[in-house]
Amino acid sequence: MKRRHFITGAFATTAALALGVSLYRPELEPVDAEDSHRALFAVLVPVLLDGALPRMSSPREAAINRTLDAISQTLTVLPQSQRDELELLLDGLENRLGVLVLTGSMTPLLLRSPEQLVVMLESWRDGFLEMQQQAYYGLRELIMASYYSCPEHWGTLHYSKPKI
Amino acid sequence: MPINDPIAEGLAAGWHHLDGSTMTEDVQLEADVVIIGSGAGGGTAADILSEAGLKVIVVEAGPLKSSSDFDMEERTAYPNLYQQAASMKTSDKAIGIFQGRAVGGSTTINWTTSIRTPEPTLEFWAAEKSVSGLSRNELDPWFEAMENKLSIREWALSPNANNDKLKQGCEQLGWEYTVIKRNVAACWNTGYCGMGCPVNAKQSMLVTTLPAMMTRGGTLLSRVKAVQIEHHKDRVFGIRAQALNEQLKPTGASVMLKGRHYILAGGAIHTPTLMMRSGVIDPYELLGKRTFLHPTLLSGALFDETISAHSGAPQSIYSDEFVWRDGAAGKPGYKLEVPPLHPVLLASKTIGYGRSHAELMEQFNQLQVTIALVRDGFHPKLEGGRLSVKADGSFSLDYPLTDTFWETARDAFASMAELQFAAGAQKVLPISEGMAMMGSWKQTRQAIADMSLAPLKTVVASAHVMGGCPLGEDRQLAMVDSHGRSHYLENLSVMDGSVFPSSLGANPQLTIYGMTARNATRLAGELLKTKSPA
Ligand SMILES: Cc1cc2nc3c(=O)[nH]c(=O)nc-3n(C[C@H](O)[C@H](O)[C@H](O)COP(=O)(O)OP(=O)(O)OC[C@H]3O[C@@H](n4cnc5c(N)ncnc54)[C@H](O)[C@@H]3O)c2cc1C
Repeated sequence: MKRRHFITGAFATTAALALGVSLYRPELEPVDAEDSHRALFAVLVPVLLDGALPRMSSPREAAINRTLDAISQTLTVLPQSQRDELELLLDGLENRLGVLVLTGSMTPLLLRSPEQLVVMLESWRDGFLEMQQQAYYGLRELIMASYYSCPEHWGTLHYSKPKI
Repeated sequence: MPINDPIAEGLAAGWHHLDGSTMTEDVQLEADVVIIGSGAGGGTAADILSEAGLKVIVVEAGPLKSSSDFDMEERTAYPNLYQQAASMKTSDKAIGIFQGRAVGGSTTINWTTSIRTPEPTLEFWAAEKSVSGLSRNELDPWFEAMENKLSIREWALSPNANNDKLKQGCEQLGWEYTVIKRNVAACWNTGYCGMGCPVNAKQSMLVTTLPAMMTRGGTLLSRVKAVQIEHHKDRVFGIRAQALNEQLKPTGASVMLKGRHYILAGGAIHTPTLMMRSGVIDPYELLGKRTFLHPTLLSGALFDETISAHSGAPQSIYSDEFVWRDGAAGKPGYKLEVPPLHPVLLASKTIGYGRSHAELMEQFNQLQVTIALVRDGFHPKLEGGRLSVKADGSFSLDYPLTDTFWETARDAFASMAELQFAAGAQKVLPISEGMAMMGSWKQTRQAIADMSLAPLKTVVASAHVMGGCPLGEDRQLAMVDSHGRSHYLENLSVMDGSVFPSSLGANPQLTIYGMTARNATRLAGELLKTKSPA
């Protein structure tokens, strides 16, 4: 599967914008941080939630969108210190030097295939650098919590809250 | 069926409640006693002092939410009712900590398990920590009184399947187990205690002691956070607080609280942080040290039959088989319990991602989870964590997970797996990186013996924050005396879980209720003796 499959519709432009600004013209107008992270999450979400997301493209796209909204929502309720840490990480993953430091390669995450992203996640997960481990566990928790906080995503769990 | 909301009714009837988010101007408020925090300690103290006829103000940093707000969804409950939206962690991120932050404190979201303080703990405090007057004989009448007040009774219905597997495993192996007492009245057995009881069955501080205090004319401030204890020589002369908006950010309005006496009941972590930030005298540098968590390991097990661990009273069985095996100060023991499972909780407290994680989540209803709560603060090599206050006034908690902890963790994983197989599990998964679902006890035992355990890689969680402002008679060991009165500031007391000089080896709420009832009753007597006639 190709990256394009994941950066669906509306995100394609945002992704390009984010790349344009952070990689090539950092001194020019900054993009809206939330939106640029959205593009980043749009490539990470399908990898972390592989198997949980619906297979059919339209419900899948809806679930990804819903999760991206939920991630933005989760970020707003986190305490400032955690948001700052996550911002630092996300900013790092959106600029060339940060990506190099964290992943050992300069290829922007938005241009990596799901398989390459799995390799990256696994290297963080098994890594000895605390920074990489925290990146893995931080992103994992944020994405999992955001996805499973949505009742729309409970179907495969056969979980529902009681009617009172 | 419509559910009454006693909080909405009380407010309509004219309770004194001020919501910080609506405050635009600075105010000064006065009472006989100012209580910071509305959880197990603060709620109990407020009830007892107001019943004695003293004028009380309770100050709570979190919002006032009630059954009408409790929609049984994690996405609502965590941001509304938990510290840091349930994402609080130690500084290295290795331990996730659940703690309440709303009117009622952690009692609004706790799982209702009610256990009297274990005798070995009280004996350890008396022998090692200079605590006096807190034997079980002395405390039992207070426990009994609080059990009556909060309808604490043995859970009479059958345990849900999650708890029943714990019971069956113990029966098979000949291990001790106990049916849990719960603080509930007319419980609907739904399993959503952790998101705020939607039917007001849980006898939390939110629906018991705090309404009683307000009915007697006491005042509740919500979304108001105490930030500074103003003190001079040996007296506190005020506590400065900030009004908070709906996002719990300062509105700019400040609240000055004046009382004859001040009680800190913000809970472990927050009470010591407030004291440290205020520069309270602490010659032996005790504040914030020895913060305990009952650091907890998890073991998942798949059963053929339906477990539905989200449904039914979350905790109704525990096993103390391994808590005191080597004596209080010996190898740290662990208590076996089960947690309720809900989607976010399970998804975030497991390992991996992608297909393997999705498959685990799909088996949600077949999954039983057992937890082992490690008794910290007794063994010299498991002394708990240390708080520090950052420049912006917030805290960080360093909690070293020592070799002694990991040795205990390995034993605990083995006990949990053995128990789950004995209860009929098809597969067991110790929740730590590198582990997979395994199909036999023999295989699992070997894998646990060989597994690598490490911070972050092994899931460690806590719902029991304790310590950091210990009680006792020896000033070298304790900040407050055995009645919770400050050794240094004559009109300051601490009445919450921060006063424990070690963890408990049991779930904390009833200990806090009983000790606070004792200490607040004595304080009321002392304050009444000197109260000038109205
Ligand atoms: C999910 C969960 C499940 C649990 N289950 C059980 C159980 O089944 N049985 C059991 O015994 N225990 C359980 N516990 C633990 C138990 O509820 C707590 O140990 C107990 O409530 C602690 O009482 P406390 O008075 O120390 O603090 P809390 O009850 O936590 O209350 C402290 C309150 O003070 C407020 N506060 C803090 N700082 C300030 C400030 N500066 N200004 C104003 N307000 C402030 C906080 O917002 C909070 O609301 C559970 C806890 C959690 C989180």
